[in-house]
Amino acid sequence: MPLIDPVTMSAINPASQTTPVKSSSPIEVLPADLARIVSQVHPALLLSAYYLRFPSFVADPVPTLLSSLLPLAIIQVAYAAFCLPSTGSNAKAVKKGKLNGAKKTGDAPSANAFTVLFSLVLSLLSTPVLAGLQILFGAPVTTHLPHTLLSSAHLALLAIFPLVYVHGSDGNKWREIASVHSPIDEVFGGAVGCFLGAWLGAVPIPLDWDREWQKWPVTIVTGAYAGYVLGKMVGGWLLKGRRIEFD
Amino acid sequence: MAPGFRTLFLVAANVLIPIAILTFASGFFPYKPFLSGLAQYENLDYGSPPEAPFDKVVFMVVDALRRHRANAASDFVYSGLSGFSFTQSLISSGAAIPFTAHATSPTITMPRIKAITTGSIPSFLDVILNFAESDTSSSLATQDTWLAQMKAKQAGKMVMYGDDTWLKLFPDFFDRMDGTSSFFVSDFTEVDNNVTRHVPGELGNDDWNTMVLHYLGLDHIGHKAGPRRSPNMIPKQREMDGIVSQIYEAMATKESLQSTLLVLCGDHGMNDAGNHGGSAPGETSPALVFISPKLKEISQGLESPALFEENFQYYSTVEQSDVAPTLGALLGFPVPRNNLGLENDRTQILLRNARQILSVVTATFSSFESDGPSQNCGELSDSVDELACEWRGISSSVPTSGEDPDFERWIVTITKWLKQVQELMSSTASNYDVPKLVIGQAVAAVALLSASIAAGPTVFNAWRTSSLFIAISISYGIMMFASSYVEEEQHFWYWATTAWLLLLWIKCNRKQILNSRLLALSSITILIIMRFTRRWNQTGQKFAGEPDIARTFFFEHKISLWTLVTLTYLWNLQSLATKAFQRFNQTASTAIATLLATAAVTFKLAFTNEDSPELMAGIAKLMAGEEMGVSLVTRARILFIALGLALAYTLASSFSHKRPNPTMRTIHDLLTLLLITQSRATNIPLLLLFGIQFFLIADLDLSLIEISTTSLLLQYSSFFTFGGSNAISSVDLSSAYNGVSGYNIVAVGILTFVSNWTGPIFWTSATNLLLLKLKTKTGGKEKGILLQHLALQTVFVTCALVGVMAACTVLRTHLFIWTVFSPKYLYSMAWSLGQHLVVNVGVGSMLFWLGG
Repeated sequence: MPLIDPVTMSAINPASQTTPVKSSSPIEVLPADLARIVSQVHPALLLSAYYLRFPSFVADPVPTLLSSLLPLAIIQVAYAAFCLPSTGSNAKAVKKGKLNGAKKTGDAPSANAFTVLFSLVLSLLSTPVLAGLQILFGAPVTTHLPHTLLSSAHLALLAIFPLVYVHGSDGNKWREIASVHSPIDEVFGGAVGCFLGAWLGAVPIPLDWDREWQKWPVTIVTGAYAGYVLGKMVGGWLLKGRRIEFD
Repeated sequence: MAPGFRTLFLVAANVLIPIAILTFASGFFPYKPFLSGLAQYENLDYGSPPEAPFDKVVFMVVDALRRHRANAASDFVYSGLSGFSFTQSLISSGAAIPFTAHATSPTITMPRIKAITTGSIPSFLDVILNFAESDTSSSLATQDTWLAQMKAKQAGKMVMYGDDTWLKLFPDFFDRMDGTSSFFVSDFTEVDNNVTRHVPGELGNDDWNTMVLHYLGLDHIGHKAGPRRSPNMIPKQREMDGIVSQIYEAMATKESLQSTLLVLCGDHGMNDAGNHGGSAPGETSPALVFISPKLKEISQGLESPALFEENFQYYSTVEQSDVAPTLGALLGFPVPRNNLGLENDRTQILLRNARQILSVVTATFSSFESDGPSQNCGELSDSVDELACEWRGISSSVPTSGEDPDFERWIVTITKWLKQVQELMSSTASNYDVPKLVIGQAVAAVALLSASIAAGPTVFNAWRTSSLFIAISISYGIMMFASSYVEEEQHFWYWATTAWLLLLWIKCNRKQILNSRLLALSSITILIIMRFTRRWNQTGQKFAGEPDIARTFFFEHKISLWTLVTLTYLWNLQSLATKAFQRFNQTASTAIATLLATAAVTFKLAFTNEDSPELMAGIAKLMAGEEMGVSLVTRARILFIALGLALAYTLASSFSHKRPNPTMRTIHDLLTLLLITQSRATNIPLLLLFGIQFFLIADLDLSLIEISTTSLLLQYSSFFTFGGSNAISSVDLSSAYNGVSGYNIVAVGILTFVSNWTGPIFWTSATNLLLLKLKTKTGGKEKGILLQHLALQTVFVTCALVGVMAACTVLRTHLFIWTVFSPKYLYSMAWSLGQHLVVNVGVGSMLFWLGG
């Protein structure tokens, strides 16, 4: 914005508040070789699984979305457990991990199991919120409620679960995430990409091609998967450490 | 760059906009050559024209009489569930010959009457003329029509009862008439009784040779509730059938009506939502039935009711323009000169028809006059040359008598030739002036360039913030090439607006200007309101008839409708009472505001009682029932005068007082009251929702570019929430005649615009308040707020224009050019000239200047 923008003037005040938050750093994938491999395999696995399920998804959206929730959860849990620093351990773990990572990862399997469970529950709890958001964005409200809820559950497992696993319930961090100002890493990048993809997924719906896959919520979920994978790769590599600026 | 230069470029861009639009329009909307004067029988060498079997005609038009799907609850003419049982019995006895008369788009009444009477295919320009009814160029008084031919026979008087469009098209034609206006679509019975009461008397008279009856009731029922849902549909069909039976009885028994032909036809059909104007099968398939006891001699009758047909094509399909020449043969007059229709008789009639068609074709393609080969026509590459060549073959081999062995073959050849010429001429009814199209586009491109130069510094100083505005402009321009996105344009705006409103929340969350809980509450409210307004009116093509709030929910929940309407008036009233008329004391200003609101409410109640009585319920019904003997026109005038006085007072007092913002707020409230008055009752609560949205957005502390973007998005999406679309049929004319008794093109034009662009006008005024607030906040340090805002808006408008024009040029041979792209062009004319130049630039700048 130009010189005398009210934005910059008003930003002086909260700047002091947000200083500790601003120091938050991007998430590093655990340094073990296995972690790196899993992190590379994960997007390919997601996309090929999605590709395989796509025909039955188009034919029978609700049962397919429902039955693929568990496999998706397993993939995401495995990815998080193998590649991501879990909450609580993170700030120090990453720093220490850089020195002596291999030792750190095997440290607290019970804590990890708890974190996984906690993150799963929290992210599934976010499903109604995401469904509400989808409805605000134009999802049908009088019909197709199971479709919307299940597609929200997929969004939650894709985008929210890794975020909770990594950041726990740190209020400041979540405020930063809610204002899309967290430093980009593969977890945050994946989440942003997932939501952007879901939003862009609405584009082909009004076209008069009258294909089955134009029906709710096929394009949305497809956009979310594609966006998640793309965002994860771009976030973990190309734009890592940067922040999204609007002004 | 100096602000002076930017202003110069901005002015240049806005001056170029109307030039580009008009140049392009003059090349885009086709010119059709037409021959003036009345046709006479040409002197052929084959004897005098055959004797006509009929000398009188009763032409009964039932507006929107289509053939309807047999499985629907209400059926129109030919299928089993229809109310037209007598007509069907005539069809099976052979006394009636049925057709499906294909009507071309635009399927609205006036162009259709033109097609039926002249036999020519009306140009798209007639759509505009249908609304500008006073325009004399739309009159058919000087053109050759079968009505003119019947009049020229001087064998009897002409009588006309029904839709007054006929009286406008044929001024001074009819000796006895009673026109009815099609203004109040809720009137199902009065319009038709007005016609029917004349029928018995006229059947007793024997001094007429042409009687035109145009019934509107069926169309009104369709508009109101759609063809399938309305319980009034079947009784109305029975009523129409009863009239057919009445006329038929008279024809069978009365000596004077012995050789009378009854033509029963629809001018257009309707789609399942009850609308028409486009080219869906339901809209373009009206029924056409020729009825006379005499017809039994030549026809054995057809099975009736007819079996279900997928695309409404019952019995044989003919072109609607074929009606004119067929009547010519049946009633014994030459084919109207501009006729492109065909009729089906033998040598004589075919040859005359061909000669007449030839003269029309020659007016367009001169190659028909020159000499050339008459053999092996298929080898010629050009279809025009081919037809010319075939014509030379046909005219040189006219069979001498019916016994000629080549007779049948000749008949087939000439019929085929006529059909081909008909196709050729129908397609060239849309000739484009390509150089003009290119010039128009070039001018629009220059306008875009200079608007970009004017907006350049704004964009470059904050490219991140403005990138979204630019992205919207460019993707909108590209979107114009896809017919489905043009038809479903609302989705683009809803999709972009919701995302933008969420983004504003995120941005404000970062700035932390508001308490984050308060911000979340207000942002969620804004988004929820947005979601409700999206579903207010289902618009577009694909989901047009689906349930929505305005037409489905309020229909069942009348009390909630009137509660919301009351809240809207109260919201407006409290704002006026507390902020307006500050030179009076509080009691007096409250009294004035209450008077204004009362005038507005009583008018709206009386209007709704006339226009949509089905919505009235509870207290609203009681209040509307209190007849005060004041006509609607007077009520509307009182309200408009009161609003005008209040506005004049507010402006006058603002010059003596130095308190700009309350004054502008009052002007905004008065404007809102005007907009409420110009909206249908079911849409009034939208203005309350927009009011709340505006109140919340005003607290978000937006920057200039954010205000511009918000303004653009909300202007466009609010247009669609009010039920607007890119189809001609969605133009709402119900409030176009508020306070107008006669036909006044300027007044009706302005009222129509205001009642269709209600949302955009509201947001223009709201934007002005936001800009003034920004100006006050920055203490005048930010220069050229208005200039920057208008420069951005102009960039969008010119970008959209370039897109629309390019799409119309590139796709001018596309199947959808008349149904999708031409209406879109008309709409973008209204957006750029009306909403952008007059409202945003004109009114917006004036308000900004007044407030500053």
